[in-house]
Amino acid sequence: MYYIELVWEYMKNYMKSRLTYRADFWVEVISDLMFQFTNLIFIFVVFRHTNSLGGWSESEIVFVYGYFMIPYGLFSCFVNLWGFSERYITKGEMDRIMTRPAHSLFQILLENLDPPALMGSLIGTIIMIVSGVQLGIHIEWWHIPALLIMVVSSVLIYTGIYTALTSISFYSDAPTGILPLMYNLQAYGRYPVTIYNRFIQILLTWIMPFAFVGVYPASLFLQREDMTRMALVTPLMGIAIFAVGLTCWNMGVRKYRGAGS
Amino acid sequence: MNVSSMFSAYLDFIRIRFLTMLAYRVNYYSGIAIYTLNIGVYYFTWQAIYGGQGQLGGFTVAQMTTYVAVSWMARAFYFNNLDREIAADVRDGSIAIQFIRPYNYVVVKMMQGLGEGLFRFMLFMIPGMVIALLLFPIKLPTSGTSWAVFLVMLFLSFLINSQLNIITGLMAFFVENIDGMIRMKRAVVDLFSGLIIPISFLPLWLQSTMKVLPFQAITYLPSSVFTGRIQGTTTWNVLGIQLLWLVILLIPIVLLYRKARTRLFVQGG
Amino acid sequence: MLAIDVQDLRKTFKVQKNRGGLKGAFLDLLSREYTEVAAVKDISFQIPRGEICGYIGENGAGKSTTIKMLTGILVPTSGHLKVNGYVPYKEREQFVKGIGVVFGQRSQLWWDIGVIESFHLLRKVYQVPEHDFKARLDELVERLGLQDLLSRPVRKLSLGQRMRCELVAALLHNPSILFLDEPTIGLDIVVKTEIRQFLKSLNEQFGTTILLTTHDLQDIEALCSRVIMLDDGNIIYDGSLDELKNRWSRGREVHFQFGSNHSLTRLMELTQGLPVEWTPENDLAAKVWIPLEINVSDVLGRIVGSTDITDIKIVETNTDDIVRQIYQSGSANERIEQEKASERLLHV
Repeated sequence: MYYIELVWEYMKNYMKSRLTYRADFWVEVISDLMFQFTNLIFIFVVFRHTNSLGGWSESEIVFVYGYFMIPYGLFSCFVNLWGFSERYITKGEMDRIMTRPAHSLFQILLENLDPPALMGSLIGTIIMIVSGVQLGIHIEWWHIPALLIMVVSSVLIYTGIYTALTSISFYSDAPTGILPLMYNLQAYGRYPVTIYNRFIQILLTWIMPFAFVGVYPASLFLQREDMTRMALVTPLMGIAIFAVGLTCWNMGVRKYRGAGS
Repeated sequence: MNVSSMFSAYLDFIRIRFLTMLAYRVNYYSGIAIYTLNIGVYYFTWQAIYGGQGQLGGFTVAQMTTYVAVSWMARAFYFNNLDREIAADVRDGSIAIQFIRPYNYVVVKMMQGLGEGLFRFMLFMIPGMVIALLLFPIKLPTSGTSWAVFLVMLFLSFLINSQLNIITGLMAFFVENIDGMIRMKRAVVDLFSGLIIPISFLPLWLQSTMKVLPFQAITYLPSSVFTGRIQGTTTWNVLGIQLLWLVILLIPIVLLYRKARTRLFVQGG
Repeated sequence: MLAIDVQDLRKTFKVQKNRGGLKGAFLDLLSREYTEVAAVKDISFQIPRGEICGYIGENGAGKSTTIKMLTGILVPTSGHLKVNGYVPYKEREQFVKGIGVVFGQRSQLWWDIGVIESFHLLRKVYQVPEHDFKARLDELVERLGLQDLLSRPVRKLSLGQRMRCELVAALLHNPSILFLDEPTIGLDIVVKTEIRQFLKSLNEQFGTTILLTTHDLQDIEALCSRVIMLDDGNIIYDGSLDELKNRWSRGREVHFQFGSNHSLTRLMELTQGLPVEWTPENDLAAKVWIPLEINVSDVLGRIVGSTDITDIKIVETNTDDIVRQIYQSGSANERIEQEKASERLLHV
């Protein structure tokens, strides 16, 4: 309850500070959407030259992309760890966080909320519906709760992975952290992972499980039997990966408090 | 300060950045792994796209494999975070100190970029290339001239990409939060430079748009020369296009830099 | 009851050894060597509730490291530590509700939003009941004169205004211990005085224990009943400021202003036999240094009748000088020991 109240308070403050820079808000929304759009261009261009990617049609791939945008938008809004290393470790703001009575990760996430990113989730939903219609998917009652569960699980997976990777900042002294390096990897879970070799498949399923933020959960709605099993594993992975991320974070904080900076 | 000592001061920025890069072990090792992985993912993706078709967008499967590997390795060299660095300097106000120092801030950033590039070339690109050669069926040219021309073009790619980064970074003077813009720029450069998809795959109208934009000079043109798709005298055209963009992009940098300075002094940081 | 109880507290850091040069940097990429550096070396001290204690020392003496351990940011390498009844690093979230921290160099307020918004947010973070919050905020705002600043964003405040707001932010949840890390750094004399007065009254009214680090000894003189001095990770002095002064000041200076030209040789003749040192300042002024064992009146007695004096000023050695001397010699206790030894000799 305490934490939910805090989310609301920080959100209000974000709005207050952002209203002073209204133009910025739209610059951010538009650049976010442009970024998503460039990814879609790749899909459209590729399907000008082929009509199937590893047995998946264009509409199916676009549907997966639409699904991906929903958890990605939520994740970008609530889990914005881009500048963590620089701001909190190099500039020492971590000390301030540690003198406050709330979990350190939670405080940092709250201080870096990015609500414009939610627009991506909205567009994603529209893309999913449009391509769903093209594919002739009938909406059934269980689709709604299933989608909610899948989206939450995907957000947890994303959060877990990025939290774990950000925790490396507690050990490494590089000011930029390694998130920019990981940046391209997240895209690869949006394509049917079966097109890759075993090593990359295992990597994207069990080590950096980006496939659970794209193709696996989306396949549930596409009724692709080949991946239904993986789709059902998504919630479990969500909990597990989130737990791993949190553990890494706590270990990192312990290291920080042991070594200082 | 006379010219030669100024020059050696700038050279020092290259050296210091090179040494700084060496200090970040985690970034180094994960960087090599990730670049190899990127090549792998696109290799398999293109295999799936070709799915037995002989030639697409003027590329055979074999050419595509080499193109992907060369392009990603080129990126391993030319990529840098100058945009984020400049934005960070602007945001925390330390840019004011940079502006009163007896050097040109943009030149310093370029030099730091060079130091990083040198590091990336020697420790990312070359070892990464060796690993990629072992893992994937890549055919590299054997003639010394191709290599020499490629290296020159690669250096120009680096300069053009850094110029774009500097322009994006300087935008931080005019927009409060440019994280979104930086992300977008990165996605646009990766896509339209031909890294993710060769320009010849794009629909014709988009191809002609790309002809008047600087992005193709970063990856598509040099990689096309190196993989042998562009040969003979056309090579010189490519070099000319790169040089042209190098000069053109100086204009917005100078303008933005001037405007940023007045803005800084008027607002007091 | 003790507010802070520290026993044999130690903190060591692993510091990466850089091999230097290009070759060294390449070697560092493959394998690294570390050295252990002790920042705080087995220190012990107790601070009772309601005390204002100054924690001083040169840069790098270990002050910040100690403060970070006391506030629960760092975990000690060894030793016992109890603050406000808690072991800070163990029950961090519970513990920090009872303390307030101000880092002079860093802001804890949100940059873009009005000061009052930051306060409201902190109220939520510290779960302060609305009623208590209002009463406390009103009082703090009143006392620090912040009424007009509350709606301004932090980035539009001057350093002095910001620092006063930082104090409010650290005190909203009514902490019983307040840690201040260089609270007056960079402030002008008026704001410094205001802040000192405020801290003093806070301590008197609520019995708030205050531990502050500072480089400005005027802060210490104005506020602290007690000083702990740190050097290279060791406590080299722990006691009252007066005692520190008595132990260390070796004399005082008397400044003379003359009505007509004076001659230094004449002045020296007058004080012949006394171990004093004359320094000329200009034609009409001179000063004399008088060691502690000689009475000022003895010197004055010899000068006053025989010269044309217009003004006399007696200057006690100031704290800055004393502390500078201690820093230079590296130990306060050594000298105290020496003095104790010489006292004993005298008694024999």
